[in-house]
Amino acid sequence: MLNVKKEFGHFQAVDHVTLNIEPNEFFTLLGPSGCGKTTLLRMMAGFETPTSGEILLDKRSIAGLLPNGRPINTVFQNYALFPHMTVAENIGFGLKMLGRRRNEIVPVVEEMLRLVRLEGAGERPVTKLSGGQQQRVALARALAPRPKVLLLDEPLSALDLKLRQSMQIELKRLQAETGITFVFVTHDQEEALTMSDRIAVMSKGRVLQVGSARDIYEHPADRFVAGFIGETNFLEGTIVEAKGRVARVRLKSGADVAAAMPEGLPTSGDVTIVVRPEHLQIAADKDAALCATVETVVYFGTDTHVHLRLKDGSPVIVRQQNRRDGTAPPDVGTEVGLSIPDGVAQVLKD
Amino acid sequence: MAEIKDMQRLDDARRRFLTLPAVLFILAFAALPLLVVLAYSFMKPATYGGVEWQFSTEAYVGFLFQKDIFDDSLTFSSEYLLIFARTFLFGIATTVICLLIGFPTAYHMATRPPQTRNWWVLLITIPFWSNLLVRTIAVMFIIRDEGLINTILLSLGLVDQPVTMIFTDFAILLGLFYSFLPFMILPIYASLEKLDFRLVEASYDLYASRFQVLTRIIIPLTWPGIATGCLLVFIPSFGAYVTPLLLGGGRHLMIGDLIALQFGSSRNWPLGSAFSMILMAFVMLALFFQIRKNAGGVSHG
Repeated sequence: MLNVKKEFGHFQAVDHVTLNIEPNEFFTLLGPSGCGKTTLLRMMAGFETPTSGEILLDKRSIAGLLPNGRPINTVFQNYALFPHMTVAENIGFGLKMLGRRRNEIVPVVEEMLRLVRLEGAGERPVTKLSGGQQQRVALARALAPRPKVLLLDEPLSALDLKLRQSMQIELKRLQAETGITFVFVTHDQEEALTMSDRIAVMSKGRVLQVGSARDIYEHPADRFVAGFIGETNFLEGTIVEAKGRVARVRLKSGADVAAAMPEGLPTSGDVTIVVRPEHLQIAADKDAALCATVETVVYFGTDTHVHLRLKDGSPVIVRQQNRRDGTAPPDVGTEVGLSIPDGVAQVLKD
Repeated sequence: MAEIKDMQRLDDARRRFLTLPAVLFILAFAALPLLVVLAYSFMKPATYGGVEWQFSTEAYVGFLFQKDIFDDSLTFSSEYLLIFARTFLFGIATTVICLLIGFPTAYHMATRPPQTRNWWVLLITIPFWSNLLVRTIAVMFIIRDEGLINTILLSLGLVDQPVTMIFTDFAILLGLFYSFLPFMILPIYASLEKLDFRLVEASYDLYASRFQVLTRIIIPLTWPGIATGCLLVFIPSFGAYVTPLLLGGGRHLMIGDLIALQFGSSRNWPLGSAFSMILMAFVMLALFFQIRKNAGGVSHG
């Protein structure tokens, strides 16, 4: 995909996006609603025409091809199953439209039913299926013609949490088994992190960062990415010393912190540093450089979120794993010290 | 428990009592006249119109056979049957033409933005604001020899003699088509409007051609609307009276005119009643097929 742009009137839905999606990759477009990710997907499918730019598939432009001429299939958000057909007819629809003969279609449909674990459900009407089953039929229907690329438009958003988690694993398995390139659109950062080989974070029609889940979580490119992916703490400060890829940052509350320094940033002046809540540690001694008051303690089962407020008034969240060794979270209202281990903080581009 | 049941029974009784006026109204003004017509069809005609109260199947026999005036022997006569067949063909032709024009129109309406759709519905219903007779006469003024079309054609020099359109089968078809087109458009529009166009996108994504999208997705899913539209056009055009009379010039009879004739100048009320019954039987048959088809559609869709 090269320099693609899409305008609706004066509104730039997709603004000069260039992406390179590798074959056999699980690629995710992640962003809040209205960021242009679905528009981008619809341009790949052929439902929208780019205002400018090119979309290449195997180095060939597919701009002139209509949706029914592209070897790309879509799993729609609401599944869009044909209500007047059975499960098998739905799955076989693509192949039938491609002019395959019945004796070619039947075994593929059987194989697809096996793949999505719906053996024996072929003759059932799709309207009688549960949400999760409809989801599987939609997947099977899109996979049956063996497209080069499978586009998935927030396919899990209508499912409940349990089902969504099992479908995440299922999708990953399907992608590995079929070897088809998956392009997955979601606004759910957890979904993106668990399934993707690579993620493109989008906002306001632009791609802000492309990278693996680990890259994006641990080295967010800017403030938006850091805030959108997972919970995080932003701390204001000033660079006092920059040495190579590490900077000493003096926080407003007075403490000095060593933070990783991405390339291409100014080596002095006011900056924001980012620290993930699970990397902060609550220290027993109140004389630590970073002091805070406990405001709220929220128990989450596997861990506890401690909401604190620093001396300068900025809020901080610390996530503590719940262990059975007697380390209890601090009481509300008490004053505690905070420590930031080396190498977990990062200077952000604003 | 018993109390609740009593209450329910009371409620049911009250409900039945409240629907009574409507039921009585229907009985008095719909069922009763039909029964009268049914009774008339089994009687003998009186000389100056009306019926003689005497049971007879003569009217139904007269539909298929002609009685010799001298020896009362019956010979098969296809005259009335042909008029029925003609009317049937007109009904079918009108339905087909209305469908061919009405479906694309309804599709166009259903794919407009929601704000403008109601304007389209309004435009389609505007003809209903005037009387059918008035509209039919308006068609006459357009297609008659001195009418709008011929005047234009003549003044442009495209023809040197007026093209005869009025009092032809074409005129009847045109009139029927014009009168009943909204009955085709509105039900199809209603079902198309409910159609989830994402399904159209999905089939298009799955390699269906435009034609296949139409035949495999849109038509099956809007079938109830199409069937209703066809029925709503077929039934009134099958029994049409004004349109063939005015635009066909009375030369090309349809059942409606035939029935009117029996009650009018022919003064054979039983025969007219029998024709009415036969016409109704045809229509009921059509309705029956429609209901069966719809019921079948529900069970596997």
